[in-house]
Parts: sequence; C-alpha cells; structure tokens
Amino acid sequence: MKRICLVLAILVLLAPVLVAGAQEPVTLTVLVEQGGLWLQEAAAAQFEAETGHTVEFVNVPYGSVFDRLSAEMATGGSAFDVATIDVVWMSHFAPFAESLDDLFTDEVMDDLFASLVADAQIDGVFIGMPTWANTEIIFYRKDMWENADEMAAFEAEYGYPLAPPATWQEFTDMAQFFTRDNDGDGEIDMYGTDVKGGVADFEWMIAVLQAGSPGVVLDAENNIIIDNDEHVAGLEYYISHHCDMNVAPPNVNEIDWGVAENLFYQSQTAMFRFWGHAYRLTRGDSPIADLVGAAPMIAGPGGIGAIPGPWFNIVPKTSQNKEVALQLVQYLYDHNAMGIEAPLGLAARKSAYAQYADVEGFENLNPLLETLDSPQTIGRPAVADWQQIADEILGPIGSDALTCEHDVAELLAWGRAELEAMGYE
Amino acid sequence: MKSSLASRTLLTLLVALIVLVYGFPYAFLVSTSLKSPQDALAIPPTLLPQQLSLENYANIGEHPTVQRSFGNSAIIALLSTVITIALAVPAAYAVARYGAWAGKAFLFVVLITRLIPPVAVGIPLFVIMRALGLIDTHLGVALAHSTISVPLGIWLLASFMESIPRELEEAARVDGCSRFGALLRIIIPVASGGIAVTAIFVFLASWNEFLFSLLLSSTGVKTAPIAIAEFKTQYSIQWGTMTSLAVLFSFPVIIFSLLMQKRIIAGLTVGAVKG
Repeated sequence: MKRICLVLAILVLLAPVLVAGAQEPVTLTVLVEQGGLWLQEAAAAQFEAETGHTVEFVNVPYGSVFDRLSAEMATGGSAFDVATIDVVWMSHFAPFAESLDDLFTDEVMDDLFASLVADAQIDGVFIGMPTWANTEIIFYRKDMWENADEMAAFEAEYGYPLAPPATWQEFTDMAQFFTRDNDGDGEIDMYGTDVKGGVADFEWMIAVLQAGSPGVVLDAENNIIIDNDEHVAGLEYYISHHCDMNVAPPNVNEIDWGVAENLFYQSQTAMFRFWGHAYRLTRGDSPIADLVGAAPMIAGPGGIGAIPGPWFNIVPKTSQNKEVALQLVQYLYDHNAMGIEAPLGLAARKSAYAQYADVEGFENLNPLLETLDSPQTIGRPAVADWQQIADEILGPIGSDALTCEHDVAELLAWGRAELEAMGYE
Repeated sequence: MKSSLASRTLLTLLVALIVLVYGFPYAFLVSTSLKSPQDALAIPPTLLPQQLSLENYANIGEHPTVQRSFGNSAIIALLSTVITIALAVPAAYAVARYGAWAGKAFLFVVLITRLIPPVAVGIPLFVIMRALGLIDTHLGVALAHSTISVPLGIWLLASFMESIPRELEEAARVDGCSRFGALLRIIIPVASGGIAVTAIFVFLASWNEFLFSLLLSSTGVKTAPIAIAEFKTQYSIQWGTMTSLAVLFSFPVIIFSLLMQKRIIAGLTVGAVKG
C-alpha cells in the first residue's frame, strides 16, 4: 500500500513536468499566394498527421501578400505564424522576421544554391528559409531543333550543328534562322524569339549577369555599378534582337511574361527565355504540347547567368506559436522535394531537384539545376527600396533603350545619377 | 420637324455609342468566359469564341473556396446594409430636422470622411477589429464596410428626409406620438423608397469591396472579389476561370439592379427637381 502511495505521489509531483513536455496541439496560420499553397500543402498535411498540429493556409493574390503582411507589421501584431514571401520583399520584412540562424547548418547551406543562401539573409542574419527557387531557362521547339532538314540547313548557313543555344551568339543565330515568312506574303509568321519590353526592368538585368557583372545595379557593398561595362554590354545585347535584327515581335512594350508564354505555346515564336516552372504547366490542348524542349539559360562572356526568383518562409516575431512555427519551417525544408509533385513543380534544395531530374516529365529540372547553380546566377540587391529602383530607374532605362533611339551608355549614366539622388554612392 | 427628327436620330446614335462603349468590356468578359482556355489566350485576341465552351464554368466546381466566398460576400453585404441603414436613418433624420447650420456642418464632416482613401484607414481598422476579436468574422468585415457606407447613407437619406413635409410628423406628435415614435411610425414608412435605394447602393458597395475584406479576412470569411483575384498569380493570369467567376459575380448585381431600376433612378434624382 505504501509503495502504491509512493508511486502515486511521485506521479502527482511529476505530472506538471510530463504535461509541459508534451506540446499542446496548436493551429498555425500560414500566409501564402497560390504557388506557396500548391508547393507546400502536401508537406504541411504530412506535418499535421505526424505532429497533431493544424496548418491553416491563408491564400491571397500575389500582390496582396505584401499588403497584408505590411498591414500586420505596421500594427505590431500578426495573425500569421509563418509567411511565404517573394525574395524582393525580404528587406522590407526583415525587422519583422525572427532569426532562423539555427536552421542554417552547414548541411543545409551545402544543399542550397549559393544565390539562395545569399538572399536568405539580411545584414548577416538568416530570416527566410528558401521554399522554392525558380529562374528563367531556354524553351525551344524540339520538332524544329531535331528536324533533319533544319539541322542541315542551319549547319550549312552558320557552320556549326543545330542544338539548343548555349551562348549569346548561338541564341542570336538561331533566332535569325527561325524568323520566317512561311507563306511568302511579306509578313513574318514565326519569330525566332521575343523581347519582353513589358518586364524590361527585370529582363535586361539577366543579360547584365551573363555579361559578367558582379551584380545588378549595386555590388555586394551596395555601391553603384549600373554603368559598368557589363551593364552596357548586357543592355546592348538585350535590345539587339529588337533594334538590330528584327527577330522578335515588334510590339515589345506589350510583351510581358504572360504574352511571351502565349506566343510560344501558340507557335508564334521558336524559342524563348522563360521561368522554368512553365514546362510542367504545358497545356495538353496546346498545338505544341509534346514538342517543348528545355535547356539551361544561355551564357554571355561571363557564363550562364540568370536572376533567381526564390520564395522564403519567414516567422514573424509576433507569432504566438513561434516554436511550432519554426518546427514547420524546418519540416517544410526537410520535405522540400514533395513540392516537385505539385503543379508548379519547384523546390529549393539541390537534392530535391536532383531526385527528380531524370524522371520522365521533369526534363526542365536539369536545366534549372544548371542555371541556378551557375556562379553568375545572382540575386537582386537586398535593399528596401529595390522595387522603387526597378519601377523608376530600370524600367524606364529598358523602355527607352527599346525605342532604339538612345545611347545605352547615356541611359545608364542617367541611372547612376538617379541612384545617387536616392543616396547610393 | 426635319431638324427635330435629325436631332432625335443623332441623340439615339449618341446613346447607342455610349451604351456600346460601356457595354463592350462586359460583353468581352462574357465572350472570354465562353472560350476554351486555349482560345482565351489567343494572340491577337478574338472578339467571339472560336467554339463555345462551358469548360471554365465547369471548372468552378474544383474550387470549393470560391463557392464559399460567394456566400460570405452575400452575408457580409447584407450585414453591412442592415448596420448602415440602422445608423444612417436616425442620423439623417436628425440632420433633416434639427438646426440648419448644425445639420449642414454635420453633412460637410460626413462628406469629408468620404474623401479619405480607404487605404489610409485600413490599418487603424485592422487594429480596432483585432482588439475586438473580430478579425476573420462576418461582423468585422461588415462593420468595416459600414465605415464607407454610413456617410453615403446619411447623405442619401438626408435628402429624402428633407423632402418629407414636417406637418406629417407634427400631426403624429399632436396625436400623442413621441419623436422616436413619429420616426418609426411616420417617417420611416414614408421614406421607405429612399431607404430601399440607399440599401441598394450600400449592398453594392459592400459586394464589390476589396481592400478591407483582404485585410480583415483569412480563411473563414474570404469574399468573392479576393477569391477571384487569386487566379492572378505571380507568373500567370487564368483568364478563363477569372472571367467566368466575374460573370457569375456580376449576375446578382445585374438582376438586383434591373429589379430595382426605378427606385435607383429615383434615388439618383432625389432633390434634383425642387420647388
């Protein structure tokens, strides 16, 4: 009897400790846009099953992620335990985000692309865990590139075999070769490629990196480099397909990503540079549904280069469930490969991409891997006013350059003056 | 006679042109919703569908959140309408019946509140609603919508109240009615036409509102405008789905407006012909 009483007494004494050890199930609220929902819901469901916690996604339109989180930041509170945000908002939300330094072990950093590790930190503190990374690669028509007559004709004209373009020169040659007036009515029926003047603020930056610039607009110390030789070369190459060669639809200012995608999938362009996810989203009823090939982004004098478009999971400092939120962020990283089965088919970890790279239907992943892993694939500067720079400086420079009436160096000198007026040196 | 016929023809043509200009975007919206997804993306775009397709409408069933959002929009719009009318009727009555200068000053202040952009009050509203525990509730969003609608309601109803003869109310007071009783039993029934018009405008304002609904809702009470906007993602716009939902979203408003057409016109012209 005494023993029983003793055991009971010990249990009563230990009860608070035992209860404290077992985590109460909580509901985590996660702010996402559609891509974040698609890519993370499967892993989140598994997290729920394994831990007993609940994950509730709040899905809002793309631009509203920024608006909604900004409102929460301004009020000093948050309804969200985790938010999945675009890389361009990282600086803005940095003061609001919990440090994730503990999650970035050597093993984690080895499995992430260098540009993502760089983008994940603001002022030396890791605030976001990459959840997926996208970037532009080359899309081309396999039926044209693998056609024996086309191959022979191309080699006869340019002196080297027809294959997916790997360099600036090859891209230009092939764009010229496939720009055609098929019915002889004097109008071009298929262009070799496109020039996306509608998103000029982003597109010409890619060529700048391919030219070998150490960064876009600002260097790692936020010094102005917008007028360096590589920016000049990149901008000249970007406009050359429109201004000098007529190998792209002439209404460049109307062509943004959506229009460019439609032009290609409706057989009006032979190849184009586009976000890698599109390969998996090719519609079955497209006239070229089974004819799309993917290749790494082209290389300029500096090598293969692109701007990554990663999204990060951050934990707001005001989260009421911080500990569990960090567990979820870690879990989503650990199960990052599950996102590849989702409609966008993207992930952040090299190992996740490698796992699917040789699986049929995922032919875009090796080009994505190679492009994302290139040293010249570099993120945009982590400055809070980046969007202002893009809207008020990079966009106008791109648009003016595409009028083909301006001296590129003069436009970039204007860009430097504008940056200096913003306080950069 | 000839000049009268010519001017009438010219006027008819002008009206037809205006109707065409205003109606074209909606006609194009309906046309796009009836195209196949591939057809909807054609470059250059075609005015009419190559082949009529209801695929976009059929696909709506795949999005249960969107279906729920229509119900949320209806509940919030109705709640907002009830709250606004309950607040605006006594306020408008007071403006119409008490002191000319004080009433005008009040109406001026009310007008100023209409000049404040909603984005400026979004965050303060968020803080208030969070403190009240009303985030992601129908009542919270409806109250926020009422902050836009109450000034509009007071303005509209004050015009109606002013057009009601004071003698009616005085007769009721002589018969022993209190002021509040006179408002309930005499003024409100007489002003019912104006109240109906105000309710229509308030309902429509809430039905279409985006910003406050975005800030104050999460998963529970997401409204239709937000659910529709979600089909514009970072990389693409799902035109077919968006246009089919937009058409469905517009139906209640169109039907409601057609049914209440006469009352709406009465509301728009109130006070226009005095004396």
